[in-house]
Amino acid sequence: MAVSERAILKSEIRWAWVVGGIVAVILGAILFAALSMGMNPPSNREFVDPKTLHLSSEFTEANLGTSVDPNGRIVARMITTQFEFVPNCIVLPADRDVTLRFASPDVIHGILITGTNVNTMVIPGYVAQVHTRLTKTGDLLMPCHEYCGLGHSQMLATVRVVPPEQFRPDSQGRVSCGDDR
Amino acid sequence: MADEAYPADAHDYESEAEELERVDSAMRDTPRGALVVSGIAVALLMLGWLILYFFVFIPRGTVG
Repeated sequence: MAVSERAILKSEIRWAWVVGGIVAVILGAILFAALSMGMNPPSNREFVDPKTLHLSSEFTEANLGTSVDPNGRIVARMITTQFEFVPNCIVLPADRDVTLRFASPDVIHGILITGTNVNTMVIPGYVAQVHTRLTKTGDLLMPCHEYCGLGHSQMLATVRVVPPEQFRPDSQGRVSCGDDR
Repeated sequence: MADEAYPADAHDYESEAEELERVDSAMRDTPRGALVVSGIAVALLMLGWLILYFFVFIPRGTVG
């Protein structure tokens, strides 16, 4: 006996339930990660004037790189510009909460740290901020992933992740990769 | 212009009853087969998503 129209409708409704279940599972997994692990798309609405970036208090040359605030917060600040990162190497401790802050004085750039979920665009006029906790130690590559001009493919930086006991800020609370960078 | 290789009244069944039986069989098996094929495809897709989510995305660490 051929499948009746009624039976076809029944199977379509069943299929809709299956698809609804799949959507619920995916949304559940995303919500679980967001609520229990604090995993969210990096979003930060903070303005900075790209024309005076190097003169503003936060992104002046002396403030760039990794520093530890008096309250213990670890913040790394970087300028992404055609076609380099300033500085082009930052040191971060493993297994500690860190904040990365980026600003661009020229065009749109994008950053990612290989092997991690750190990934954001850096748009002139805004401060891009990512909170993360790195687990693997070693030198991680951080390339620009948003085409920014002819030198885009040469725009790379290193994120040196060290064990927490090797992360030693100087008297100013600053940590850098050393003279070779 | 009529297709002479496949005239409209050409058929390879013996009787009308056989024709109905073949239509019935196609209408029975085709939706079932479509369901099996789409079920396998969606199950594989979902499995791939779950594997990437729990074994690649989550171990890469938190962001926010």
